[in-house]
Order: sequence, then structure tokens, then C-alpha cells
Amino acid sequence: MLGQLIASGIVVGGIYTLMALGMTVLFRSTTVVNFCHGEFFMVGAFAVLLTQSKLGWLMGASIVFALVLMYAIGALIERGLLRPLQNAPHISLTMMTVALSYLLKGLSRFFYGREVVPLPPILAGDPIEFFDIVLAPQDVLIVLFSLFVVLVAYWFFNYTRSGKVIQAASQTPRGAALVGINVPRLRNIMWGVGAMLGAMAGILIAPTTLVYPDMGGHVLIRAFAAMTLGGFGSLPGAVIGSMSLGVIENLLGGYVSSALVEIAAYLVIIAVLIVRPQGIMGEWRQGRG
Amino acid sequence: MADHSTARRSLAVLLLVVLLLLPLVLNNYHQFVVNTMLVYCLIAIGFNIVIGYLGQLAFANAAFFGIGAYATGLSMVHLGLPYLPAALVGTLAGGLAGGIVGLPALRVKGYYLAIITLALGELMRWVYVHADRVTFGPGGFKVPDIVFWGYTLADRQKYYLFLALVILATASTSLLLRSRFGRAFVAIRNNEVAAASLGIAVNRSKVVAFITSGLIVGLAGAMYAALNGRVSPDTFGLSQMLMHFAIVVIGGLGNLMGSIIGALLLTAAPELLRNFPGLEEIVFSLMLILVLFFIPKGLGGLVCDHFPSLRERLYREGKPHA
Repeated sequence: MLGQLIASGIVVGGIYTLMALGMTVLFRSTTVVNFCHGEFFMVGAFAVLLTQSKLGWLMGASIVFALVLMYAIGALIERGLLRPLQNAPHISLTMMTVALSYLLKGLSRFFYGREVVPLPPILAGDPIEFFDIVLAPQDVLIVLFSLFVVLVAYWFFNYTRSGKVIQAASQTPRGAALVGINVPRLRNIMWGVGAMLGAMAGILIAPTTLVYPDMGGHVLIRAFAAMTLGGFGSLPGAVIGSMSLGVIENLLGGYVSSALVEIAAYLVIIAVLIVRPQGIMGEWRQGRG
Repeated sequence: MADHSTARRSLAVLLLVVLLLLPLVLNNYHQFVVNTMLVYCLIAIGFNIVIGYLGQLAFANAAFFGIGAYATGLSMVHLGLPYLPAALVGTLAGGLAGGIVGLPALRVKGYYLAIITLALGELMRWVYVHADRVTFGPGGFKVPDIVFWGYTLADRQKYYLFLALVILATASTSLLLRSRFGRAFVAIRNNEVAAASLGIAVNRSKVVAFITSGLIVGLAGAMYAALNGRVSPDTFGLSQMLMHFAIVVIGGLGNLMGSIIGALLLTAAPELLRNFPGLEEIVFSLMLILVLFFIPKGLGGLVCDHFPSLRERLYREGKPHA
């Protein structure tokens, strides 16, 4: 029981990790908390669903298409809607992401209606048993993929030149610009990559949660909770927070009451912000916002 | 200065006469929409205190609204209170919720506050659904008819009741904002450290702002319970929060008249768009994006730019008046 709960917690945590990593990347590149990340998640899943069911594409082709599309959407949003507001009060940027979130939601509702449909899993097949833990192949794929993304991100930010350049650009944009780093271009790329990560989370989880226009809000709050728990803006924090949140949710649901699964994230947010606002890994910066 | 205030006063009297005569020309459906507009005017004013004047990103407004509506409706159902005392309970419950949200606002701000308040709002919805012995669960409950001295109020009579409540609440908010406290809110918004160094009690002012916001939005909730006749958890979710946010931003942050303009505009819009799923969200978000790009001060700010005499005294720029 305990092993199974922790294992399913890690699977859910993998999805939260993809979301939280994407949001952290965006937060560090533009210092904006992206309230439309849940919609990247939703649009990604929709892109795969529509190309498969309406156009009959293969799974691989539709996933590649969805990721390219999301990169383009992310980069376009940064270039067209956020960069012009770069010198406006900071709150305007946040409002812009809130507005975008509702725009994407409204567009998908308008064109797609109120149907709720499942997406076929990427890996179908019999459940895999491991001692007394049973996982679907798709769950294993989720864990492996999020692990892969975490390792790539770790390697990229710590061991490559481009990763260090991006770190520099997010720490002091002005200083980075002075030594010849093209900060706006980097931000543009980061938005594309962040949107892709969000979409990937959506594509991976859609077979279990179904695809519908409001699917993003639920996971957005959980990614917030994970980032808050791990420390806002910290990459390792996002991973640790997401995994812990996934496990906490499952343990509460398994041992206390299944009604608590829905609110575990809210309770975590409130508890962390009251007890230790900087989270597990974060450094506390007064007056951010 | 003198002719400005005469102009203002005659404008206000004219407006009042129009408002009092309005029900004579409205059919039942339009009357209902106008009543909804009144509810949203109060919501926007209450929200503006915290987000516009105090400058705190607190997204608990839909929660205050829900708490006001639930407290009013439930005290009528369970305790058998008549409407006005029940509305008082709803208002006070909103104020209490405001005070409770104000406490984390002393400790965290910016995004952290935005997230904790969003979480509180969703938590309240969970409570409405799961505390079903008291709140009647996910389906909500029917609010008893509003009866005064054996006479059941229809929408047209509710309009006059609401109008009185809105005018009362708007006037007291406007007075509060012009008082020491209102000036303190704006000072805190502009620079918290500087405000504190000038001897402004930052924490106390923040709590006062949150409580006032909660009281006003709680009253709006009480009105909503009477207007709609039904209270259910789904009403007070994230899309309700978007509505409040869009009204205040489109109307103009820190601008009471703007909030009223925004409320009138955005309450009318969904009535026109209701047959197309998603179109309401598209229109609201496009309006938000346009306002953010082109009129950062909002519609209220735009009006004030053209009619300087309407500008609120706190923001009136230029020569000091003799």
C-alpha cells in the first residue's frame, strides 16, 4: 500500500515537475509568474488530439507537431505581448498572462465546445508489476521522461556555456546585456522552451485526465504549490517540491481521506507561506513582486 | 473650484433622478441585468480598494463574494433571519474573511500573496462542496424569498433596496479613501518603506483595507443571494475571479468611477454573448489585452483625462487649488 502510494505519487510528481520546471524557467527569464502555463498544457494536449483524430496523423508526428507549435506560441507571446510591456509596471505583465490564459481557454472552448475526450496513451500495454507495485507503461514513461528532462536541465544550466549565459541573463539582465549577451533573444527562446515543457506535461497526462478546455487550471495550482514548497525560482526546488507534492497528495488520499487530494496543494501553499515563505531551497528576497 | 463642485453636484442629482426613474422603462429581464450591474459595482469597488489603492495582488475577492452570499443565504435558511439582518451577517462574514486574508498579506506580498489568496478561494469552494450538512453540497441551495412586512419583493423593488445599499457603500468607501486611511493605502502602494518611515502604521492600514474590502464585497454577496435566489459553489470559482479582475483593470486601478464603468460594461457583455461558449472569455481577455497595451490607466483614467474635474482628489495633479 505504502509503496504503491509513493510510486503513484512520483508519477503525478513527474507531471508537476515538467510544469514547475517550465514555469521556473519563465520566472527566471522574465521574472513573471506565468498564469497561462496551464493553458500551454491544455493546448499541447489538444494539438495532439486534433491532429490524431481529425487528420489521422501518427502519434510521433502529432507530438512533434504539438511541440513545435507550442514553441512558436510561447515565442510569439513573448515577442508580441510581453516584450512591449517590459517597461510597464510589473503588475501589467502578470495581468497579461492572466488575460492570455483566459484567451486560450476561450478559444479552445469556442472551437471545440464542451466535449470531454480521452487521448490514447503513448505507451499502451499490460501494467508492469514490480514487487507489489503496479504501474501502467505510460506512468513509467512519465517518470522516465521527467527524469530525463531534469537531468538535461541540470547538465545544461551547470555545464554548458549557453546555460551559464542564460543564468547570467536572468540574474542581472542589464549586466548581461552590457557584456554582449542578447537578453531579449534568450528570453524569447526560454518562453518557447517553457511552453514546450508545459505542453509535454499535458500530452503525457492527457490519457488519464481527459482533454477539455479547463484542464489547465487544476495543474497550474499544483505547479504553484510545488514551486512554493520547493522555493520559488529555484530549479532543484521545483523538482523536489513537485515530487514531494505528488507523494503528499497520494499519502493524504490513501491514509486520511480521498477528498483531501483536491485540497492538498492549497494546504501546502498556505502552510509553506506561513511557516517558511522561501520554501525548501529558495532564497528569500524581500519585496519581490 | 466652486463651479467644479456645483457642476459635480448637479450632475449627481441628475444621475440620481435617472436612476430612480429607471425601473419605469425596463422590462423584467432588463431589470434583472441592471440589478446584477449594481451587485458588480460593489464587487469592483471592494476589490479596487485592495488591488488598486493598496496595490496588493490579492485574488480572494471571489471568496469574499461567496462567503457573503453563503452567510446571508444560510442564516436565512438555518436561523430563519429576515433579509436585512441576514445581509448584515453576510457583510460581517465578508469583513471577517477580509481580516483573515489581511493577515498573510502582512507577511507575504507580490506573487506569493496572489498564490495564497487564489488557494484560499479554491479552499472555500471545497468547503462549500464538502461541508454539505451546512452548505447543502455541490448543488447549492435555494435562498428564501425576500419578505418585508408580509410583502415579497420582486426585482423592481429589490432594485431600490440595492441602489440604496450601493450608494451608501460607495459613498462611505469614497470617504474612507479620502481620509487618513485612504491616503495611507496609496502611500503604501507607492512605497511601503517610505510610508513606514513617515509614520504610517503599515500593518494596521493593510488590515483596515482588507477588512473594508471584505465588508463591501460581502455586502455584494448578500445582494447576490437575494437577486439570484440560489447560491451554489460553482458560482465562486476562477471564472468569477476573472470577471472581478477584468472589471477592475478595464475600469482602471485606483479609480472608483472606473470600477463602476467597468462593472456596467462587463455585466452587460455576457448577456449579449451568452449563446456562444467561450466567446465571453475571448472578449474579456481581448479587452484586457487592449487596455493593458493602450490605456494602462483604464477607462476611468481615460474619462478623467478628458474631464479633470472628475478626477479623484487624491490623484488630482497640477496647481494646488486656492
